Amino acid sequence: MIVKQALKYLGLAAVVSVTASVSQAFATTDLPDDPLNSVMWENMATRFFPGEVVIDQRVIVSAPHDAEDQMQVPITIDATQLDDVVEVVALADLNPIPHILTLRPTRAQAFIGFRIKLEQASPVRVGVKTSDGIWHVNGVIVNAAGGGCTAPALAHGMSDWYKTLGETRAITLREDSLSTRLSMRMRHPMDTGLAPGIPVFYMSDVEVTSPDGEKLAHIEMFEPVSENPTLTLKPLVDDNIDELLVYARDTEANEFRFSLPVPATADN
Amino acid sequence: MPKTNTGYPRLDNHLANHRANHRINRRDALKLLAGASVCACCGSVHANQLAYNLAATEIATGTWAVHGSNDYFTLENGGNIVNIAFVEVPDGVVVIDTGPSRRYGEALLQLIEKTIPGKPILRVYNTHHHPDHFLGNQVFDSSVIAAPQKVIDNIGFEGEGFTDNMYRLVGDWMRGTASTPPTVVLEDEAEEIGGRQFSLFYLGGHTSSDLAIRDDATGVVFTGDLAFYNRAPTTPHADIDVWQQSLRTIAGLDRELILPGHGLQDNSGASLEQTSDYLDWLHRSLSEAAASGLTMNEAMTLPIPARFQSLDVVNSEYQRSVVHMYLSLEDELMPLIEVK
Repeated sequence: MIVKQALKYLGLAAVVSVTASVSQAFATTDLPDDPLNSVMWENMATRFFPGEVVIDQRVIVSAPHDAEDQMQVPITIDATQLDDVVEVVALADLNPIPHILTLRPTRAQAFIGFRIKLEQASPVRVGVKTSDGIWHVNGVIVNAAGGGCTAPALAHGMSDWYKTLGETRAITLREDSLSTRLSMRMRHPMDTGLAPGIPVFYMSDVEVTSPDGEKLAHIEMFEPVSENPTLTLKPLVDDNIDELLVYARDTEANEFRFSLPVPATADN
Repeated sequence: MPKTNTGYPRLDNHLANHRANHRINRRDALKLLAGASVCACCGSVHANQLAYNLAATEIATGTWAVHGSNDYFTLENGGNIVNIAFVEVPDGVVVIDTGPSRRYGEALLQLIEKTIPGKPILRVYNTHHHPDHFLGNQVFDSSVIAAPQKVIDNIGFEGEGFTDNMYRLVGDWMRGTASTPPTVVLEDEAEEIGGRQFSLFYLGGHTSSDLAIRDDATGVVFTGDLAFYNRAPTTPHADIDVWQQSLRTIAGLDRELILPGHGLQDNSGASLEQTSDYLDWLHRSLSEAAASGLTMNEAMTLPIPARFQSLDVVNSEYQRSVVHMYLSLEDELMPLIEVK
């Protein structure tokens, strides 16, 4: 593993040095130094954070220092100290598929909890785009042993896993007078396509709306999100909203819909 | 292949098969490195100096404990974080658990020979299948190594993965170590070994099968990892309800002294109460957190009560326990929703 990892780092370094020289030639703004000192920083920033980038401690990324279970590494992002958040993009630099998810909190707090698969120790990086177009970036490094993305989902140990596809557990609680806390888990193998013989198959979209169809939050998800994705969101709810509608869709166009009650303020 | 970061990977059949298809593991990689001497920081000169310096403490008449550190696995401690014990019986020696590596097993054999010269080892017990407790098996005569069937099954199933991960965690200390399951299946309530009766208690909860052993002559109870003392309990395979029941069973035994799996010996039962108290708090606290929809990361920041603050490695073990226990608590506490 050490040999393999060393070779991998060398390989990455070689790739990055090429892309770095290219991107420097065309860069319109200077990238700040990466506090995580990742070899992938310029590559990640160029691909995912086009435009002005600032390192911003107001983007709070919580993750354990060591991945206890590489198939379920918990991440919580809290960017509620920033105003006018348009997009929250989560990446794992050294995953074979770096893009984890994008949250668009149209009418929700800039907050999300989820779990990811990690292929190896990696920066977990978050870019938060505000309405002025600036990317506020922060992240942490998570140490891990190796193998989270290329292993088959546990579901494939069960012959009838598809029977429970989309089975959902959820709770809604009043967070404060303006928002509700929504935690939900949907059964899905979230296959990365990297495990031998198992094609890519994952939940790709989750949308939360009010009963009259107003979009509150949209999450675009990708392969690194853990099996049976478990999401925690904080949609904003005014007095008219007594129910949240959730719509989810996977890469095979299976659709799942459910509704959840919004507890009254006094019901805290 | 999926690995936890802990020596305790979650594996099941298809993952084990997956492993079988990828035979180049980190042990081979380390061997290559060691053989080629390409790495200045872990060259063979340093490697030859690795030594556990084990010491035996006589905790009861003819009963010695070999205490490890209360830390987690590190490159410095070589995985020696565990209590191993040996007992002089009239015709020989009985050993309880064998440590984290072949190198440890060899040091343990030397220590036993130095402490009780010339006596044969008649029985080696494995209390459960965690790597710090059985990876020294290799140096003992396999025909005397005994455990309940379920422990043997667990070692067969997960031992190889544990061994790989221990190489990653403690490196060259593991050189030459291979998972070696016990060959003797324990089934009886007691057995006589070399003129001494040992009572056997088939318990569980720390893992799916945990063996506790009482030396009926001295009244010393070897709990394995059912009891921890002033060191935070670990929960990668825990079933808290079953574990609590096992602690009540041990608390009800006639006994003189307890040797926990980690931490010092205890003649009052305080290790049982402390372990039970901690597990009870852990389960209640994480249940409340899951029922409140807290993310795992939020649950990890909840305060640890003052009475547990002095437990060694409590902060890191608590964080690990959140990951071990949270998924099943969420499944239990989040209601099913009708999906269209």
